[in-house]
Formats: sequence, structure tokens, C-alpha cells
Amino acid sequence: MSDDYIWTVIVLMALANFLVRFPPIAIVSRLALPEPIGRWLGLVPAAVMGALVAGEVLRPDGEYLLTLSNPYLLATVPTALVYAKTRSFLGATLAGVLFFVAVRALLDWGAL
Amino acid sequence: MPIFLGYVPVGMAFGVIATTIGFTTVQAVVCSATALAGAGQFIALNLMQDGADVTAVIMATTVVNLRYVLFGATLSPYLRGMPLPQQALLAFTLTDETFAVNVNDRRRALSTGASMAGVGAVAWCGWVAGTAIGALAAGWIGDPSRWGVDFAMPAMFIALLIALAEERRHIAVAALAGVLAIALPALSNIGLPLPDSWIIVIASMGAATIGAVSFRER
Repeated sequence: MSDDYIWTVIVLMALANFLVRFPPIAIVSRLALPEPIGRWLGLVPAAVMGALVAGEVLRPDGEYLLTLSNPYLLATVPTALVYAKTRSFLGATLAGVLFFVAVRALLDWGAL
Repeated sequence: MPIFLGYVPVGMAFGVIATTIGFTTVQAVVCSATALAGAGQFIALNLMQDGADVTAVIMATTVVNLRYVLFGATLSPYLRGMPLPQQALLAFTLTDETFAVNVNDRRRALSTGASMAGVGAVAWCGWVAGTAIGALAAGWIGDPSRWGVDFAMPAMFIALLIALAEERRHIAVAALAGVLAIALPALSNIGLPLPDSWIIVIASMGAATIGAVSFRER
């Protein structure tokens, strides 16, 4: 991976990320959104997260893993429960990583 | 304070993975400090690792972060009359967690321009510090997957999904997007290959559009 490639991505990513955040605040704080667009926007965040989670869990590294011995899938349930219970991103992220390591170890030992 | 702590481990995971795929420590820290994009940065690493071209990487990170258009639009009524430079600063530090904290504070009438700037600054420090720690520690951590960092990003997405899917229509749309994200790659079997970088875009926009048409009443 070349240095130029990495720096180009860094600079463009900084620009792109500012451009999705700033105009909506600057413009929308000065006008009202048409209702259908507002409704569509209201559904985008959940849709993006649903697609991301499904892809990460059921197709990690671009390979289908549609089995019950998928460690990503097995770690998902307790992670979701920890977040639902604690409402803490830190707690859920750390707990998720621990669950994942534990589940993977159990799978390796043939315990699951 | 909780928000600062929340960003450190995910920032560390970013620092470790970025240096593992070939970033220098400086590049990893500059990337976090200027983009502050959480999920968008991880997606970028994923694609860069596969040698995707610059356009595909930027498209994917932009699409993953399109939700900020909504967050910005949602926060904007609170920001009426605020000068543009201050709005620009808040826009730069707008993330999933700062959005949630600010909306929550606002409901309890605790939020002011200064407190929102403070929340943003704290989140930025946590994210950048986490990245630096992760990038520097990557050398002696060895193979990062041993420590389960493969699951740091999915775990964060799972928590965000639950935080965002508060109503039934959100759950329905998220489930539909998930099904699409899993089904679309299979199209390559029938001779219609889609690049992975587009799957998330197409799946989430498709699901949101179907949802917006189906759930007319708000």
C-alpha cells in the first residue's frame, strides 16, 4: 500500500466527512425539509446499521458464514443484550470483544 | 466523561488495524483527527486492504456516514441563529454518540452551544487518543485478531443498531436492509456481480426507500 494512496484517502475522507455533516446543519437550520425526504432520512440510519451488522456478522471478510458455529453470530446476541441493558457503547463494545474471544476459544476446543 | 471512555477502545481498534494494514502511526492519528468518522474509517480500512480504488473507498465512507445528514438535520432546529463558524465546529464533531448525548441533554434542557462544543471536544480527544494508543501498541500487541479486535467494529454497530432502531418501522427497515446486504452478493452467482463496496449503499438506500413508501404515516 503506497504512501500516496493512504494520504489521498485521508485528505478526501476528511473532506467527504465534513461535507456530509456541515451543509445539513447550515442549510436545514435555515429552512424546512419536505416531508417525504425527512421520512426517508429518518429511516436511513437504522437501514445502514442493519446492513452493516448483517454483512459483518453473516459475511465476515466477504465470505458467507451462514452456520450456527459462526463466532460473530454467537457473540452478537449477548452484545445486543449488554447494550440494551446498560445503554453504554463502551460496555457493549468491550463485552462484545470478550464474548467474541470466548466463543471463538470454545469453538476451537470443540466445546460448542 | 462516559463518551470519552466509549471512544477510546474503538479508537484503539482503529489504530491497531490501520497500522497492521500499512498506515504509519502519524497517518492513523491524522486520519482520526481529521475525519472523526468511526464506522466510515473502518469501512475505508476494509476496502483499502482489498486494494479498492480511491473513489470506491471515498464513496463507501460517505455513504456509511450519510446518516450524519439526518443527524445534522435533526439537530439544526436547536442551532438556529448560531453563527456559521460555531455550526461548522459542531458539524465536525458530530458523531453517533455526540448526537445521542446532545439530543438527550436538549430534552432535559441542559444543552447550550458551549456544552455541545464541550461534548464534541471530549469525543474528539477520546477518539484521537485511542487511535494513538492503538497505533503505538500495535507493535507489541502482535496479531490484533488474537485480542478479538475483529469484533470491536461489529459490536459497536450492534449497539448503534439497537440505539437507532427504537420504533417498529426502524426495526423493519433495518431487518430488510440486513436481508438485502446478505442476498445481494449472491447475485454474482447468476452473473450479476456487485462490488462489495456498493452492497451497503444499495441495501440501505433500497430498504429506506421501501420503508419510506410503505410507512406513510409518521
